[in-house]
Amino acid sequence: MTAALGVPHLSVAVMLLAPAVLLGTLAVTALLGRRLGERAVGTLVRIVMVASVVASGTALVEGATRGWSPVVLSYGSWFSAGERAFALDFVLDLSSLTFAALAVGICGVVSVFSSRYLHREPGFYRYFVQLLLFTLGITLVALAGSIEVLFAGWELMGLSSVLLVGFFHERKSPVVNAIRVLAVYRASDAAMLSAAVLLHHWAGSGSLSLLFTNSAAATAQLAPWQALTIALLVVAAVAGKSALWPFSGWLPRAMEGPTPSSAVYYGALSIHAGCFLLLRAEPLLSGLPVARALVAMLGVATALYAARTGRVQTDVKSALSYAALTQVGIIVVEAALGWTTVAFVHLVGNASLRLLQFLSAPNVLHDHHELEDEVVRGGVGSLHSNPTVKASPGWYLFALERGFADALLDRIVVRPFRRGVVLLDRMDRVLVGRPGSGGEVGP
Amino acid sequence: MAEPGHAGDGGEARFPNEVARGEKGEGFDTPIGQAVDATWRRVDSRAATQSEIGRLVAKVGHYLPAQGPISVFIHHNTLHAFEDLPFEDAVVQAGQRFGCEPLLSERVYREELRAGRISGRDLEAVLALELGGGADEWLTAHVQRRELWRRVLVHGIPPAKGADLKWLLEEGDALQGLRPDLPGDARQRLAPGAGVSRLSAEDGTLARALWAACLRAVSGSPHRPAVSPPPPSCLRDRLLAHANLDLDESIRPVLIRFVAAFLDQGIAHVSMPGRERGLYACFTELYGHRLAGWCGDWAGELATLIADDRAMGQNGEQSLTNSLDDLGVPEIERVEFLVGEGLWLRGWAGMVHEFETRPDRAPQTAVPATLTEFLAVQLLLTRAALRHAARTLKWVGSLGEVRASLGAPLPAQPQTSTPERTWPLFQAAQLVGLNATMVEAMSGEEIGRVEAELELLRTAARRLFHEAYERRLRHRFYDAVVAGGAPRLPSPPTFQAIFCIDEREESIRRHLEEVEPGVETFGTAGFFGVAMYFQGAHAARGRPLCPVAITPRHFVAEDAPSGSALDRVVDLRAAWRWVAARARKGLHTGTRTFGRGALLTTLLGITAVVPLVLRVLFPWLRRSIAPFPLPWSSSTRLRLERAPGTPPLGEHWGFTLEEMGEIVASQLEPMGLSQRLAPVVLVLGHGSSSLNNPHESAHDCGACGGGQGGPNARAFAQMANDPHVRALLAARGIRIPEETWFVGGQRNTASNDVLFYDEDLVPHPLRALLAHAQACVETARRREAHERARRFESAPASWLPDDTSLLHVQARSVDLAQTRPEYGHATNAFCVIGRRHRTRGLFLDRRAFLISYDPETDSDGERLSRLLTAVGPVVVGISLEYFFGFVDPCGYGCGTKLPHNVTGLLGVMDGAQSDLRTGLPWQMLEIHEPVRLTVVVEAAPETLERVLRANAYLWRLILGRWVFFAALDPAGLRLVEIRGGGQIPYQAEEPVQSVLGPSRAHYADRRGHLPFVRVACPSAEGG
Repeated sequence: MTAALGVPHLSVAVMLLAPAVLLGTLAVTALLGRRLGERAVGTLVRIVMVASVVASGTALVEGATRGWSPVVLSYGSWFSAGERAFALDFVLDLSSLTFAALAVGICGVVSVFSSRYLHREPGFYRYFVQLLLFTLGITLVALAGSIEVLFAGWELMGLSSVLLVGFFHERKSPVVNAIRVLAVYRASDAAMLSAAVLLHHWAGSGSLSLLFTNSAAATAQLAPWQALTIALLVVAAVAGKSALWPFSGWLPRAMEGPTPSSAVYYGALSIHAGCFLLLRAEPLLSGLPVARALVAMLGVATALYAARTGRVQTDVKSALSYAALTQVGIIVVEAALGWTTVAFVHLVGNASLRLLQFLSAPNVLHDHHELEDEVVRGGVGSLHSNPTVKASPGWYLFALERGFADALLDRIVVRPFRRGVVLLDRMDRVLVGRPGSGGEVGP
Repeated sequence: MAEPGHAGDGGEARFPNEVARGEKGEGFDTPIGQAVDATWRRVDSRAATQSEIGRLVAKVGHYLPAQGPISVFIHHNTLHAFEDLPFEDAVVQAGQRFGCEPLLSERVYREELRAGRISGRDLEAVLALELGGGADEWLTAHVQRRELWRRVLVHGIPPAKGADLKWLLEEGDALQGLRPDLPGDARQRLAPGAGVSRLSAEDGTLARALWAACLRAVSGSPHRPAVSPPPPSCLRDRLLAHANLDLDESIRPVLIRFVAAFLDQGIAHVSMPGRERGLYACFTELYGHRLAGWCGDWAGELATLIADDRAMGQNGEQSLTNSLDDLGVPEIERVEFLVGEGLWLRGWAGMVHEFETRPDRAPQTAVPATLTEFLAVQLLLTRAALRHAARTLKWVGSLGEVRASLGAPLPAQPQTSTPERTWPLFQAAQLVGLNATMVEAMSGEEIGRVEAELELLRTAARRLFHEAYERRLRHRFYDAVVAGGAPRLPSPPTFQAIFCIDEREESIRRHLEEVEPGVETFGTAGFFGVAMYFQGAHAARGRPLCPVAITPRHFVAEDAPSGSALDRVVDLRAAWRWVAARARKGLHTGTRTFGRGALLTTLLGITAVVPLVLRVLFPWLRRSIAPFPLPWSSSTRLRLERAPGTPPLGEHWGFTLEEMGEIVASQLEPMGLSQRLAPVVLVLGHGSSSLNNPHESAHDCGACGGGQGGPNARAFAQMANDPHVRALLAARGIRIPEETWFVGGQRNTASNDVLFYDEDLVPHPLRALLAHAQACVETARRREAHERARRFESAPASWLPDDTSLLHVQARSVDLAQTRPEYGHATNAFCVIGRRHRTRGLFLDRRAFLISYDPETDSDGERLSRLLTAVGPVVVGISLEYFFGFVDPCGYGCGTKLPHNVTGLLGVMDGAQSDLRTGLPWQMLEIHEPVRLTVVVEAAPETLERVLRANAYLWRLILGRWVFFAALDPAGLRLVEIRGGGQIPYQAEEPVQSVLGPSRAHYADRRGHLPFVRVACPSAEGG
């Protein structure tokens, strides 16, 4: 028994500690002013990724031999106050291990890709710090057994995501768009945090096993309206993170970072993190028809909206992001219907395919010419948009303007938020003459 | 000395030429009005027949980037609109117009000075020329002009203004001591009687005394610092400055989305309805829809404006006039206003302009876009946003009044404060060794003179540095060319090889000559005189393969074999292709749809892991799966002969015999090949292939209009092998021996693969010789791969076996994660037009275009003139595009590739929605040295000058110093520079080193630019 339990402990430890230790190393060396070189960073990241992939593979195999009975690993509590404790719990079952394996696998492939793609980029170091943060975050989300762990992972993902959107911060629009993504993420994070607090308050514990694995226990401890409130908050968190309608406006804007980061976040993992959470919360949702109906509606709306919008996008990254989002919407519907396995397979398939498509997005001209040659010479008609598909101006405008989602969010969320920031900036300027501005007149 | 505000300090500097904000554009104060006038003269004549508004718009079009759709990348002078001006003025004025850097920053030049790339001698020479007779003038008792200029140039005055200066003075080390980099004599005079090792406390006292003296001196000086005019500002800047309203955020995304969708060439599955009606009509219909109000707060106003326009039944031109009237732009300001508007989204506006002027270059659909309509749409949006702004801010009055009230200049450039004025004087005083007493002894007038001199110097510094920077390289090149390589000619040659003029061919020619001393190599524009539309056997459509200035008339198709034995294989292959094509097409569109997408991703999505892992982790595997050359390429034939009927493109199917003869003669004669042909002549075009690289075509052959030159080489060989053509040529006195055979081929400049065509047609007696020639090319391409690999930082710097290098460059060309498949034309700097034996044996570091030209047979310069007309624009375009791209990688180039996003199959954007980014990406530029092209022509100076004067285009560029020409005496070792002002004989400065070959001995283990040397090959001596 101890030997069998040793494997989960070891693999979880490797998956979490390897990126964390490297992050620490990178942070310390940078603080000491001795940044590692490109080669060293590349090699270290490779080692970490290989270790994580091996660990997750081992855990999968071990899980299969156990017949996928869930294992909860408790590493004590973060801290406790009175009766309430913030637990460091991890759950290892089929879905958590599969998602973790998918996540570290994809992060591994992308880091190898990036170490060549970002060669000689001055932000190389920064990029990998953020990618490691992300790897750590998504592994935490995948394996979380308590809502505190989930929230920590969720936040790391969001943070690294925003930082990578704003990677080229010397230009204006990446920063503007990063702030937009941040605004939406914060809103959904607030929902997540509220869910955590309420769960503690009502159930006296943050254990996710309560919600995610055992619906009978959950209903026993929570009144239906309490469960519904928590479920709705989780859905709100999911909607922001997975860019479900009406939060979809930020998705195309997030394409400002280097191509591989767009691929891993908005093609493969980040966008599916919400779906994963939804699948984990299936036991909770299964008892709540209202919440399920709402989720299904969100999914349908997202899928239809994204399919319509994606068809008229004229840049390859936006087109791909809407293609990914269409399927995310469908996965959400599948989750709402309780088709967990289908949804999971769909999720893995969508993530893998979009990653490949995103990584080869700059190749679109090459592919297009090749495809055109093949199609025309192969006698399969023309490659070009079907002339019989005529969009009416209204529909076309709706799709081209991305369902006006941006303008709506602008009015409701982003503008008030930014007004505050501008105010702070102005105060900063008045109070402190910034070196480098050259604008202030001398003594 | 701390220099706060440098992008390079502490932070991550992406580009070496990043300039601190305070320093940006400093010292370039030229009114932009002149530029506008000068450049419009030419446009005006062309636009004589247009309407008033059409004329205005034509002027706007002139300033826009002239880069067409990216799949056919054609290098051109980024500053083509300023070509009428002298180079030095043009860079400044264009810099102001486009908000770009004119030259490298002083900091970069000073680093080059320290590194020895700029030598003291060059700086002296440039200064002597600049100061002329006034160099030795004494400004005051202690300050000589030349000395002041030299010291300030070499040591520099750290830029400091406003808060920076305040910090430096109060908290920094400016007054804590003297400059640490003072020349010995200056230090001696500042702190007399003391050694260098003085206590810093005393230094501090001296520095503070000097500062106080300078402050007093400046107050008494009659000099008034020149106030630079405020930078040109458009409506949006003023709105942002006065009302904190950012139009970039409201209307810019809408305009980008709209114009991108309108021009889209096939990324969207559903294209914009009604594009054939034109840009303006399309816009008013779409955005006149009641849903459009949802685009933003300002969009309500747009509906009103569009309704007004529609009610009046206006077209784009009338709408534009109407908008100008509504905005109250007076006639006299309209040009300036529209230019400012046009440059707002200059990439997109430029693409619209390209569609308007060159619809034939549209990749798929030549949608009817015009710049007038684009500007009309832009102004409609601007007016809507402005109206909304006026309402929000409760401004009353017409838009014209609002605009006028915004017209007040931006918060004026603050007056230069006294400490700001004192700072340069204080720094210069230290450098020339003026102590406090000396400064106090100077009269106000003298101080004023020094101040004026420093101001002059400030504006001239970058220009002078650049002159010195170029001068050094140019003179080293002159030295090498004058000295020459190994003048012994292999006679008779074992075989001959004709390459493109491309500077990337310099190295493979050199290696080939080192491998086989008996070979003779030649360079000619890589379309080999064959201007044609070409359709490959497996291509969906034809494309032009010739310089962009030529419109081809002939169409040549490559035919797949239709032999009896092959038929069944071909059928099978066709069936397979059909299946493959169906599947690919299904996947391409299917994965992006709703239902099919769901099925495909659920059922097949996971299989994407296989190609994903293979392509990312093992990129080189792709080469073994898809071997190059393609299996069918050898079995096809070119349909070259004239046939009746109308081809899909151009006027005629194929060439007549006379035309073929003309083409062959036009190539052989100038090269001096009309009499002495070897039995085997290789004709090698070039192209480049890479993955994940939207700029792939920028690596292709410039002389083929951004296409691959293999088919041209093949066509040329086929023509020259034709006995009928040979008969025609014999009548013209060009003797091609009966046994001689031409073999066409293509080299891939990324993967270094070489492919030969029609080998099966080579006569049997020559096969052994051909095999020998191919073996030599094989060795040469491996060595060349090794030489190229030294430039890639990710390739090991130490010695690699040839095979490993070849694998390295091959893997680069098929690697999805590789942003530098090759460096393209980077480092190009020179061009030599002359016989190869003048440069053979010289290591020119892949920096020189080499064009074969035999002056002996061209006494009147007729052929030279034709040659220059054909290749001049190509090489100048390449040189200047790289120059400006390097100088301002974000402004003139398209920045780093990492966030690039292909849009509409037309170009790239940065991220989600930006202006269309034109120019070259940094990954292609990073090893470049921005120097203007120097062309050395082997011809008598008089002949060359006559020919150049007759060539209006080149002579204008020579007068403006955009390009330099020099004549290399065919008979001797004399080199004469041909300048606008006359001929200047060149005196050799440094002897050229000799290295015992092969070339590897010189470049092994070295990454950077290398000196030009003579490579003496032991085996070559026997030749």
